[in-house]
Amino acid sequence: MADERDPRLSQHYRDLGAEEPPRALDQTILSAARRAVEKPHAPLVTPGGRHRWYFSLGAAAVIVLAVAVTYHMQQEQPDPDSLGISTAPEAQKDEAVKPAAKPESASRELAREPASPQAAPPAGPSAESQSRAMRAPQIETPERMLERIIRLRKEGRHDEADKLLAEFRRRYPDHQIPAVAKK
Amino acid sequence: MAEAPDEQLMLAYREGDAGAFESLYARHRIRLFRFVLRNIKSRASAEELYQEIWMRVIEARATYRPTARFTTWLYTIAHHRMVDHWRSARLPTVSLETDDIPASNPGPQQHMEAREALSRFAAALESLPAAQREAFLLHEEAGLTAAEIAAATGSNEEAAKSRLRYALAKLKAAVDDG
Repeated sequence: MADERDPRLSQHYRDLGAEEPPRALDQTILSAARRAVEKPHAPLVTPGGRHRWYFSLGAAAVIVLAVAVTYHMQQEQPDPDSLGISTAPEAQKDEAVKPAAKPESASRELAREPASPQAAPPAGPSAESQSRAMRAPQIETPERMLERIIRLRKEGRHDEADKLLAEFRRRYPDHQIPAVAKK
Repeated sequence: MAEAPDEQLMLAYREGDAGAFESLYARHRIRLFRFVLRNIKSRASAEELYQEIWMRVIEARATYRPTARFTTWLYTIAHHRMVDHWRSARLPTVSLETDDIPASNPGPQQHMEAREALSRFAAALESLPAAQREAFLLHEEAGLTAAEIAAATGSNEEAAKSRLRYALAKLKAAVDDG
C-alpha cells in the first residue's frame, strides 16, 4: 500500500543528510511569534520584565486625572451669593444698613462659614468681595439645601425659597422634594 | 505542555502562549526545513520560503481551527508557498545539492556500493516530477498519509496514492539498479 514506507528507501532518504535551519533563522521566526502575541492587547494581569513600567505610568496618569477633575469640579461649584442664596443673611442685612460695618459683624460672618485658612479680612464692600474670592469652595448636600428651603418657607421668604428650589432642581434633578419645600 | 498534541499547542499559541509556539516550532523545524530544501533548488530560496511558511503560520493563528492534524495544515501552507515559488521562478524541477550527500570515504567494497546506491537515490529523487517528489517528501518527511497528502496538495486521494506509488517505484528501481 502507498502509505507503507519502504525501510530501505527511508534509510537512503535519511542518509542524504540532516540539514537544519540556521540558528539565526530560528531566532527570527521565534521573535516574530512572540511579537505577534504581545501586540494585540495588553495583559490584564501585572506583567513581569520590561513591560512593568506600563502599569506605573498608567496608575500615575489616572491619579493626576482624578485630582485634576476633582479640582475642576470644585472650581465650577456656583457661588451661593450669585444665586441669591445667603449663607449669612443677618450679617449681609447689617452690611446693607451699615456699609462701614463693625469688625465684629465681619468676623461673625466668617465664623459661620466653613473653616477658612485665611485671617479675618477688614470689613467694607471691598473686603466683602475679597472675602468671597477667598471663600473656600463648598459642596452643599441636598438634605442641607432642602432644610434651608423649608426654613425660608417657614419664614415666609418664598421668593428666595423658589430661587433656591430652582437651583436645587438643577443640581439634583432626580432627588425627591418634600411637599413642604414646594409651597 | 511540551507533551501536548500539536493542535493543542497551536490553540494555546492562538490564545497568546508564545511558549506553545516554541514547542511546536522545535518539533517541526528540521522536517519542514528538509522538506522545503529538497523541493527547492537553492538553499537561500529554501531558507526564505521556510521563513515565509512560519510567518504564515503566525499570521493565521487567529483563524486556526483544529479540523485536521496540525501537520497537514502546516504542510498545506508549505505546499502553497512552494507552488507560488515555482510559478514565479519557473522551476519545473529541482535538484539536490551534491553537498547534501555525505562525502566519500574510500574503504571496503560495501561502503562504496552504499555510497553509489545513495547517489542513485539522490539522482532519482531529483529527477522525479515535482508532484511525485512532493508526495514522497510529504510521506517520508512529514509522515502524511495519502489522504493527508491529498488534503495538503489540493488533489484527491487516488491521485495522491498514484503519485506516491510512482515515486516509490522509481526510487526503488534506482537503488536496485546497481
